[in-house]
Amino acid sequence: MEHVPILKIGSTLLVSIQIDLQDQSVQQLQEDLAEQIVASGATGVIIDITAVEIVDSFIGRMLSTIGSMSRLFDAETVLVGMRPAVAITLVELGLSLDGIRTALNTEKGLRLLGGRF
Amino acid sequence: MFSLKDAVYNLVAGSAELIPEYVAFARTIDDLGLHTFETYTAAREQVISDQAESMLELSTPVVRLWDGIIAVPPVGTLDSARAQLVMEKMLDALVSTEAEHAVIDITGVPTVDTEVAQHLLKTVVAARLMGAECIITGIRPQIAHTIVSLGIEFRRRADQADAGGRAGARAEPQRA
Repeated sequence: MEHVPILKIGSTLLVSIQIDLQDQSVQQLQEDLAEQIVASGATGVIIDITAVEIVDSFIGRMLSTIGSMSRLFDAETVLVGMRPAVAITLVELGLSLDGIRTALNTEKGLRLLGGRF
Repeated sequence: MFSLKDAVYNLVAGSAELIPEYVAFARTIDDLGLHTFETYTAAREQVISDQAESMLELSTPVVRLWDGIIAVPPVGTLDSARAQLVMEKMLDALVSTEAEHAVIDITGVPTVDTEVAQHLLKTVVAARLMGAECIITGIRPQIAHTIVSLGIEFRRRADQADAGGRAGARAEPQRA
């Protein structure tokens, strides 16, 4: 199983997903991220899904869970770089990821988190 | 071409032994006629489908209004397929122009049914997922009435009466 790397930029954690997401790797990412947020005291999390071409309902739900989980640690989650096809799929699945903020690319995501990094 | 059959029939009418040849000849002529007709129909069908396709392309333009604002003014009746196309083109444009605001102007759409309204809603949510804000403008009184009587609710969405105003106003601080 592949691990998703978590990078730290200032007080923001950057998760760039470059692999085809498997259920297990998403679950692992969730655990890793929780530990990292606690260890680093990060106040923002950016999840870059530019390279992700396929999502299913499980992954959609896990992204939403990551968002609410980070909030419990007082960190805000921004989902960046979603592809049109992925957005359409998530909407068709009825997942609107209400608790999560979104941005077009990583740069705008960082700006959204303001002076936090 | 078919009149050739009459001419040949007049020639072979006297001799009985030529009748099988005449039947075969007539069949060839018929096949030729059929082939011509099929080719003609296929060409016509091609022209019609090409035109339908280019009309679909023409009627769903995506315009870059300002830095960071795109507009999608669909013209004509929206059906499910066109609403889907509008959605796809708009989302693609959001990626290519990196726009943060999108305006769907439905002034040119005469009627909106449940399905289309649902599609519009999906488009708005999909745009939000991609990190852009989507505004629906130009809802006619009749359409507003239809939407309300169909029981569709556009939740927490700033729907504007005209395309210009608020979209520009919202992006103002960003441009500065």
